[in-house]
Formats: sequence, structure tokens, C-alpha cells
Amino acid sequence: MSLFDVIFYLFAAFTLASAALMVVSKNIVHSAVGLLFSFFGVAGIYVLLAADFLAVVQVLVYVGGILILLLFGVMLTQRITSVDMRTGTLQLVPAILAVAGIFVILFRVIRTTSWNIVPEAEAQFIPTAEKIGYLLMTDFLIPFEIVSVLLLAALIGAAFIARKGT
Amino acid sequence: MNPSEIIQNNINSLSYFLPELILTGMIVVLIIADLLLKKENSAWTSLLALGGLVIAFVAVLNQYDLGSRSIFNDMLAVDPFALYFKLLFLTSAAFVVLLSIGSVELAGRPVGEYFTLMTALTLGLFLMASATNLITIFISIEFVSVTSFILATYLKTRRRSSEAGLKYTIYGAFSSGLMLYGISILYGLTGTLDIYEIGTKLAASSANSLALLISIILMLAGFGYKLAAVPFHFWAPDVYEGAPTPITAFFSVGPKAAGFALLIRFFNVAFATEATNGEWAAIAGVNWSQLLAVVAAATMTLGNLVAIVQKNVKRLLAYSSIAHAGYALMGVVLLSDQGVYATLFYLVVYYLMNIGAFLVVIVVQDLVGSESIDDYKGLIWRAPLPAIAMGVFLFSLTGLPPTAGFIGKFYLFAALIKGGPGFYWLAVVAIINSVISLYYYARILKAMYFDQQDEKEPASLAVSPYYVVLLIALVVPTIFLGVYWAPLADLANYSVEFLRAL
Amino acid sequence: MEIPISYYLLLSGILFTIGVVGVLTRRNAIVVFMSIELMLNAVNLTLVAFSKQFNSLDGQIFVFFVMVVAAAEVAVGLALIVAIFRLKQTVSIDKINIMKW
Repeated sequence: MSLFDVIFYLFAAFTLASAALMVVSKNIVHSAVGLLFSFFGVAGIYVLLAADFLAVVQVLVYVGGILILLLFGVMLTQRITSVDMRTGTLQLVPAILAVAGIFVILFRVIRTTSWNIVPEAEAQFIPTAEKIGYLLMTDFLIPFEIVSVLLLAALIGAAFIARKGT
Repeated sequence: MNPSEIIQNNINSLSYFLPELILTGMIVVLIIADLLLKKENSAWTSLLALGGLVIAFVAVLNQYDLGSRSIFNDMLAVDPFALYFKLLFLTSAAFVVLLSIGSVELAGRPVGEYFTLMTALTLGLFLMASATNLITIFISIEFVSVTSFILATYLKTRRRSSEAGLKYTIYGAFSSGLMLYGISILYGLTGTLDIYEIGTKLAASSANSLALLISIILMLAGFGYKLAAVPFHFWAPDVYEGAPTPITAFFSVGPKAAGFALLIRFFNVAFATEATNGEWAAIAGVNWSQLLAVVAAATMTLGNLVAIVQKNVKRLLAYSSIAHAGYALMGVVLLSDQGVYATLFYLVVYYLMNIGAFLVVIVVQDLVGSESIDDYKGLIWRAPLPAIAMGVFLFSLTGLPPTAGFIGKFYLFAALIKGGPGFYWLAVVAIINSVISLYYYARILKAMYFDQQDEKEPASLAVSPYYVVLLIALVVPTIFLGVYWAPLADLANYSVEFLRAL
Repeated sequence: MEIPISYYLLLSGILFTIGVVGVLTRRNAIVVFMSIELMLNAVNLTLVAFSKQFNSLDGQIFVFFVMVVAAAEVAVGLALIVAIFRLKQTVSIDKINIMKW
């Protein structure tokens, strides 16, 4: 087992453990912390997959943006931990069964498919930021512009909904 | 391609993107106008929005002589198929603006954001109708979703509206997560995001059919959510009930039609190979047309059965619109030009009668202040015009002659029968469903025409002339298209043509 | 590199499943949003793994867009939660029950 493998397994275990903590935890702040570590774990895996730009964006957007937003939501709406959040057992069993079924199918799909393997390129690391920036301004210009309008609309809407009064 | 060619392609594409650019410009104009106008002059924003829609309409009409082409490096397509849907979106958006102007429900609420978001929603629908790359497909769906979430919550001080919005958002985000997983599997199988390339690659190689099937089912979650097809319909009744009624009318037409546009284009390009005489064959390994047929049957049956027990007219129409998505899906499962043609025709007919029915709901809501069927009792004596108009729309929704709904259903059934014995069972299910739907539509008719009103109600209600004009503007084409439908049929026939390969 | 792509896919499959479990079993709207973010992360992981496999950046570009859209969705979702909390003082979706869930 090379060092690379060890790091992969470490990050994978770390990601899954914190994700499980997030879902299981009854305390919403613990859930948020679990999510935080899970995001970091995924960012680590991106680094292993040579996606350096996305690893940084993952930390900036997910950890720095989305998670902070969620925490604000927690603080604004909850008297922090006072609300009891019980998981209904009635829904738990069928949900777990259904999800287990889904997972078995996914597992089969992943194992049995020959994923269109292209001969691995020379294992040399090429920074991706420049190429991604270039692609966003050429091939993917129009989606890039569309999401900017989408963000504008979301901004207007969120401000409208969250403010007091009508 | 070398970089300068790609950039040149982007620049050249701008002239084919004019309607969308107009709508984008309109969004900015509306935001600024809302800042500058004083509150008492804010009615001008609605006229401004209407003007933008009209200009965009003219721009879309001008695109008809361009033919079919792919723009922005194969991100979007401009073809008669997309133009047909764009015209539908613009007319329905314009009607919804008109409904909003008169609505009592919306009075006193800020109009700037409302019309800005509605223009943005229309822009999103445009993109859905023309997206040809998995990235643009995903972004356009989300564009429509995010703006819809906000508009559904526009009456945020009412619990019903804000809770509907939250439910809508959670379902939307969940189904887009499922769809994304399907997209990622598809990307893994083909190595490309372009739907034309996906089509050629899948046709050339026999991909793992289980993986492909899972990918298709997961992606159907995203499309089904937009169509409000079973089992992704849960949000629809609550959102339809909670949202402002003009927005409900828009939801029941715009995003649904856009979902159909996307579904037809994507499935026929990526997962089918063209055979002869305007018929296609589903790619080997996954019989997705049978899958869609089951979804269609389940959707119409569930929609109609649950509609029977509804007491709120708005909610009843929500279930009826779920059922109608099932009918329209029948044209898609056939994998033939004729089926698509029938769906296109039906969507326009459905737009007329459904917006009409919601208009009557708005009128009655403004007069009586209620959406319950009980308050429709004796409406014919109190407000004859809305009652008669509702009768026409309900006849059309059931599919009885001489209304447009009859012709629409006729085309669907004709295509289904012509498609061969494989789908006869679906035709039988649809006929049984039409009979069921007759029952609950007739309940509203009975309440309006035959039931006695309670004594306490005023003898007659004055309908404002503005609504009278709008009602007539919807009743006339609903009947007219039932008698003389050739022009619309020709247009739909012409619009079946979409960009199938680069 | 020794780690085969199916390991990455498996990791993302498990992550996705955990997210789905969260959405289906948790009743707190904010936790449901968190679970949905987990699902999106799983999708992103799949896309990046394939992107590496195909030696093309298309998958990574897609991930970039998924992140942008997720941010927009969460912003709107939280605004909604705040608005509802103002009306009702609860964020549990079991207690939001004027309309049938």
C-alpha cells in the first residue's frame, strides 16, 4: 500500500464518518460540525483526484459560504438546542429499507459497469485553474452568464422573503 | 476547435439569442424602474413587464426564418420546436401579468420583485426549451426552480404560502440531487455532456443496461418534478393552493410545458435512434418508452382519483393538472412525430382552458373571498358570465365537443391508436380516466348551475369589466379551436421539427 | 495511481445514500437541507472522478456549476425558513401541518 492509498482511505473514512454523524446526531450544531468535516474530507479527495481548483472552491463555497449560511439559519430560528427533534420510528424503518435497496442497486451498477476506461495519462500534475477559467470564458460562456442571472434572481428573492413586512 | 473559432461562435450566436437578451435586459430595467418609481406609480412596472414580453414575442416571431441551428458551441438550440414553446411561454406569461394586475390577493404587495422574478422565470423556461447540453439542462431547470420557489412564497405573510414554498424548495432540491446523480452516471458511461454526442455514443456501444436504466430513472426524478408526474407530484397540490392564484395558473402551464419540451428533446436525441417515417426506436437495452407509459398511466389515474374528494376548487384544479400531464405524456411515449405533434397541440389547448379555469377562480375569489366548491353554489344566478365561462373551460378540460379540449384529446388518442397495439392499454386507461374526470368536473358544474345558494349571499355580484374582457379573451379561442383548429395544428406540425443531430 | 475509479464511485455512492437517509428520516428543515448538500457533494465527487478518468475538464466544470446553484438554492431555502419561523416559531416539518405533508 502506497502513501497515496493510505491517504485516500483516511480521507474516505473521515468523510463518511462525519457524514454519518451529521445524519444521526440529534443536536443540530453537531450535525453542522459533521457536515463541515465531511466537506473538508471531500475537498481532500478532490486534491487526490488532481482537481486543485475545485478543492479550493469547495472549501470557499461550501465551508465558507453554504455552511455559514446554514449556521446562520440555525441561530436565527432555533433557541440553539432547545427544540427536541425526535426521529419518528414509523418512517425510519421503511426509509432505511428503501435506501438499502437503492444502495444495493447502486453498488451493483458501480461494480458491474466497465467505466469506459481511457488509458491513464502520464501521472503528472497540471494545475487546472487556468484551464477551467479559460473554458468558462469560451465553451461554457453561456452557462456561466446564465448562472449569474440566476444568482441575481436568487439574491432578489432571498432578500424579499427574509425581510420583515409584506 | 481553436480558441478564436470558439469565441467567434459565441459572438455570432448572440444574434440568435435576441429574445433571451431582451428578457434579461427587461429584468434589469424592472429592477431599476422599481427603484425610481414612487409607490403610487408602481402600476407602471406591470405595464413595463408586459411591454418586455411583447417585444420578446416579436423577436421570437422574427426567428422563424432562421431555420434550425445550434448556438453557443452546442449549448442551446434554436429550432421551430423551441420557438413553439417560447411563444407559448410568452403568451402565458403575458396573461399571468394581466391576471396579476387585477388580483385582489396581490394588492398592496411590492410589485417590483414580483414582475422581475416573473420575467426571470420566463427566461428560465426559454432556456429549458432550447437546452442541448447536460450543463444547460441542469442550469435551466434550476433557474426555473429557484425563481418558482420565490414566487410560490410571494404571499409570505400567509402561512399557507410560505409553507408551500418551503415544501416546494425541499422537494425541488431533493429531486435535483437525484437527477444530478443520474447525470453523473450518464457522464460516466459516455464521457461527454453534449446530448448529441451522448446519443451517438450510446447507439454505437452497448452500454451496461442496468447502469443506463438507473441513470434514466434518476434523471426522470428531475423531469418528473417539473411535470408534476407521479411519483414526484407531492409538491403540486400544496404549492398550487398556497401560491398566489395568478402564479398558480402560470405554474400549471409554464414549467410543465417546459418540462415536456426538455423531456421530448433530451430523450429523443440522447436515448433514441431515428428509424423511418418520423418514428424512432429506443436505444437497445432500456425500454424507456414503456417506463414513461407506466408513469403516464399512474399520473393520470392518481390525479383524477384524488381530485374526486377535493373540496377546494384550486386544489381540485391542481390534481386535474397532474392528470393532464399524464394525458400529454401519452404523446411522448409513442416515439413518433405524430405523438410529439399531438402533445404539442394538447399543451396549447391545455394552456387556454387551464388559465381560463384559474381566471374564474380568481374572479370568484375576489367576489366571494373563497375557493371552496360550496361557495360556487348558484353562481349562475349571481354572476352568469364567470359561471358560463367556467362551464366552457370544464367541458374542455373533460374533453367534450365542441371545445378545444376535445380536439386535443382526439389527436392524442389518434396518435396512440396509430402507434400500434403496444399502447392500446394506455388508451383504455386514458378513456376510463376521462370518464372519472367527468364526475368531478360535473360536481363544480352542478354546484354552479343547479344548487341553491345560501340566503345570506347577495343576489348578484358585479364582475369588473376588466375581468369580463379577459374571460371573453379565453372563452372565445377555447370554443373556436374546437371548431376550426387547422392553423394551430399546422403550426404544431411544423414545430415537430427539432434539431436531431449536429 | 493504484486506487481504481470504482473505489471513488463507491465512496460517493455511500455518501449519496447517507444523504438520502438524512432527507427521508430527519424532520428538521435545516438538517434536510444539510443532507441534500451531502447528496450534491456525492454527485460532485462522482463527476470529478470521471473527469479524471476521461482526462477532460468537462466534469469539473459541471461541479463548479452545481456548487453555484447549490449556493443559490440554500440562500432561498434559508430565507424561507426564516420567514416561516417568524410566522410560526418552529422549523420542524412535522409541525408545519396546515397542509398535508
